[in-house]
Amino acid sequence: MNSTEPHTASNWVDEHGECLYRYALVRVRKPEIAEDLVQETFLAAVRGYEKFGGRSTERSWLVGILKNKIVDHFRKLGRETSFTDMEFLSDEFSEKFVPVGFWKHGLGPHEWKPEPDEVMHRREFWQVMRDCLSMLPEKIRVVFTMREMDGVPSKEVCSILSISDSNLWVMLHRARMALRECLEMNWFDKTAEEKT
Amino acid sequence: MPDEPYNPSPVGNPSVLARRNWWQTMLVKFIGKHTPKCREMIRILSKSMDEPMPLMMRIKKRLHFLICCWCLRYEEQLRYMRQTARKFPEHADEASDAEFSSEARERIKRKLEESAR
Repeated sequence: MNSTEPHTASNWVDEHGECLYRYALVRVRKPEIAEDLVQETFLAAVRGYEKFGGRSTERSWLVGILKNKIVDHFRKLGRETSFTDMEFLSDEFSEKFVPVGFWKHGLGPHEWKPEPDEVMHRREFWQVMRDCLSMLPEKIRVVFTMREMDGVPSKEVCSILSISDSNLWVMLHRARMALRECLEMNWFDKTAEEKT
Repeated sequence: MPDEPYNPSPVGNPSVLARRNWWQTMLVKFIGKHTPKCREMIRILSKSMDEPMPLMMRIKKRLHFLICCWCLRYEEQLRYMRQTARKFPEHADEASDAEFSSEARERIKRKLEESAR
């Protein structure tokens, strides 16, 4: 092994393999591709262990490598997939607005509690987020997750997926609206009801 | 159809300005007329998550927030979603029950050992 011991790398597979696999699966949906991405992640981690330096946790470091692998995967796929199809883009939740364009008061965004730091420790929150993401149409989900989960700059997302800036903004806007609505209905409103 | 003035009821409206007296009513109508409507505002708010908002629009946004607590919440919630979405990958094992098979686990360990030789 170049930079780390075999038993260390093997421990990584036991400790973080499941988390990496589940994230990859949420992103690519196909188990065999998710497994390949996890394998590539561990191989890259072993090669680049010296660069790790312990500045973050092992898991965040491995997740960072996996994110890059996923972006590479979509970069290859982007050349083969057309992102011009504007499926799902006609729905703008028009029932939430009065005709002139302001929110109907009862239907505007509700207050979200608890704060992000607290919600991150709730397993059920992550399950709801995964379910809400899975309801987004494929292309919208790819754009949203690349931008918001992987933190890829918007210009780069456009270049990887061969879409225009304006298409990206429209897709992200619809994704954010739909995800916000889904999280509110399935998590925040229910949590608020339980408290009362 | 000509634009109706923004004339929301103050009942159940927690916004800073909400037609609670004559002055507020005038201000609400003025701000409602000179800032983007909520439907447009949330599109602008989403875009501002990806590129900086021009100064004039930032001012209009602040004014709009005075009469619309819902758009203010919308912006806070866009940030909330970004903050949590960035952490999702590290919590993916809690989000799903998908099984990482022992075959895959062993295969990857073998590959790692091979690469060590």
